[in-house]
Amino acid sequence: MTDSSPAGVQQGTGPAYRLHAHAPEVSARRARAFGSWYYAEHVLRAMNGYKWTLLATSVGTPVMYLFAMGVGLATLVDRNSGSVFGGVSYLVFIAPALLASATIMTAATEFTYPVMDGFKWRRVYYGPHASPLGTDQIVHGHVLAITVRLTATTIVYFLIVAAFGASPQPAGVLAVPVAVLSGLAFGLPLMAYAASVEDDKGQFALVMRFIVMPLFLFSGTFFPLSTLPVFLQWIGWISPLWHGTELGRALTYGQPLPAWLATVHVLFLVVLAAGGLRLARRVYARRLGK
Amino acid sequence: MDGSKKPLAALYSRNAKAVIARGLLATRSNNWLVIVSGFFEPVLYLLSMGVGLGTLVGSVEGPDGQPISYAAYIAPALLAVSAMNGAVYDSTWNVFFRMNFAKLYQGMLYTSLGPLDVALGEIFLALLRGALYATGFTAVMGLMGLLTTPVALLMVPASVVIAFGFASFGMGITSFMKTFQQMEWINFVMLPMFLFSATFYPLTVYPQGIQWFIQALPLWHGVELLRQISVASFTPATVIHLGYFLVMIAVGMLLTTLRLRKLFLK
Repeated sequence: MTDSSPAGVQQGTGPAYRLHAHAPEVSARRARAFGSWYYAEHVLRAMNGYKWTLLATSVGTPVMYLFAMGVGLATLVDRNSGSVFGGVSYLVFIAPALLASATIMTAATEFTYPVMDGFKWRRVYYGPHASPLGTDQIVHGHVLAITVRLTATTIVYFLIVAAFGASPQPAGVLAVPVAVLSGLAFGLPLMAYAASVEDDKGQFALVMRFIVMPLFLFSGTFFPLSTLPVFLQWIGWISPLWHGTELGRALTYGQPLPAWLATVHVLFLVVLAAGGLRLARRVYARRLGK
Repeated sequence: MDGSKKPLAALYSRNAKAVIARGLLATRSNNWLVIVSGFFEPVLYLLSMGVGLGTLVGSVEGPDGQPISYAAYIAPALLAVSAMNGAVYDSTWNVFFRMNFAKLYQGMLYTSLGPLDVALGEIFLALLRGALYATGFTAVMGLMGLLTTPVALLMVPASVVIAFGFASFGMGITSFMKTFQQMEWINFVMLPMFLFSATFYPLTVYPQGIQWFIQALPLWHGVELLRQISVASFTPATVIHLGYFLVMIAVGMLLTTLRLRKLFLK
């Protein structure tokens, strides 16, 4: 470099800015150690670009749903079927279900198009992949960032639920981690699938229509699962939403739940999430290795 | 040029059918499952809310004061919602892509086609799809025993009118949109309309002020219109509901045509 390099010019015109870059080997070492966190930071900073949209939707959506279903629809439901909901109002009954379903729907959006974006459209995975970051770190970083996002919006949702008086028990706070776990139980297998999709032919729209939407409607969200005919109840059993909602109901208003069944609910969610993550790591490794 | 004799010549070359033919041809290379899936959403809602929740709700007061089943109460509302969703989806997201990424309209307007041809052609395609969904949904209603009068079949053309109202506006509004995040706001406006327009429970739940606000929104008129048709119970309000959409169509078409002209015929 000669004297006419940009750094030289800058020194003459204003305060001198120097990049305090580490030596390459130091950067590489740090990337290997903290790579997941670095990648997570990148994803969260990108989200910062549309924080107002995120804030408006994560506050506005729960208020609207709780009001429409828990107050409006409740006028029809509470009239003649209070006993079905274990003595609590319809609002208290559906609040944990709406909480978990909002987290799962957010997870469904975050683990589909942004994943395809990483591989195909803007190819954001390939830059970090060319650095010392391993594929597992990219996966973990992405998951970490989405988990932060899910936790933040779920906390906002829960605060609104509490403001509506729809979480009478203090233990209801624990519905937040349960909802986030449900979101990951649904989102991580979906992430693995999204990573395997090479061409966008509307697969994600189909996932929304044929998986997310039926789960939302048939997982005991708006009425107890037992209200459905037996041949439809299996939809609830395989649905992370139902397991998350049942746990949430035990926590927010004390719906009776035997310990063994609570364990089954938690295990089901953990196994789905862990299995999804494993699968996602494998698919990412294969695809980024091409 | 004969533009001086026909004032509309610059806007309309009476060839919307070319736009329609192109659209139908392009549909072939689309994933047909995506198109078919649009039909399932209202049906799933009807099964879940109408049948599942219906057992808890019991019967409700219909538009003519007679008690009807909860499924029969929400079915016309779900049809109106699906007409809105379909029209808005087609005329916003699809148009947004074609406008900003595929540059489809720019290409069309380099030919003899005018902005009104493009607008009419695109909206016709959206309505064709909407009519298919509405027919399917009405058939499902029939299978579930929710149709009690042949007049209810008029729900199909009526929901096309509703879709036309939303589609004519959607395209005009989309022409202002520049980013994906702005597009998100469209969903954010549609959600309260979907939830609050007397879709799942009567409007009387709300205080008077909120009722007036909801009655000013288009979806409420659509819901009421289809609900009245479904039991063949008509009142002077029917004319208001229908008139609302006719005005909406006229204003929306004007907006869309002017916007397309401003964007592309500089």
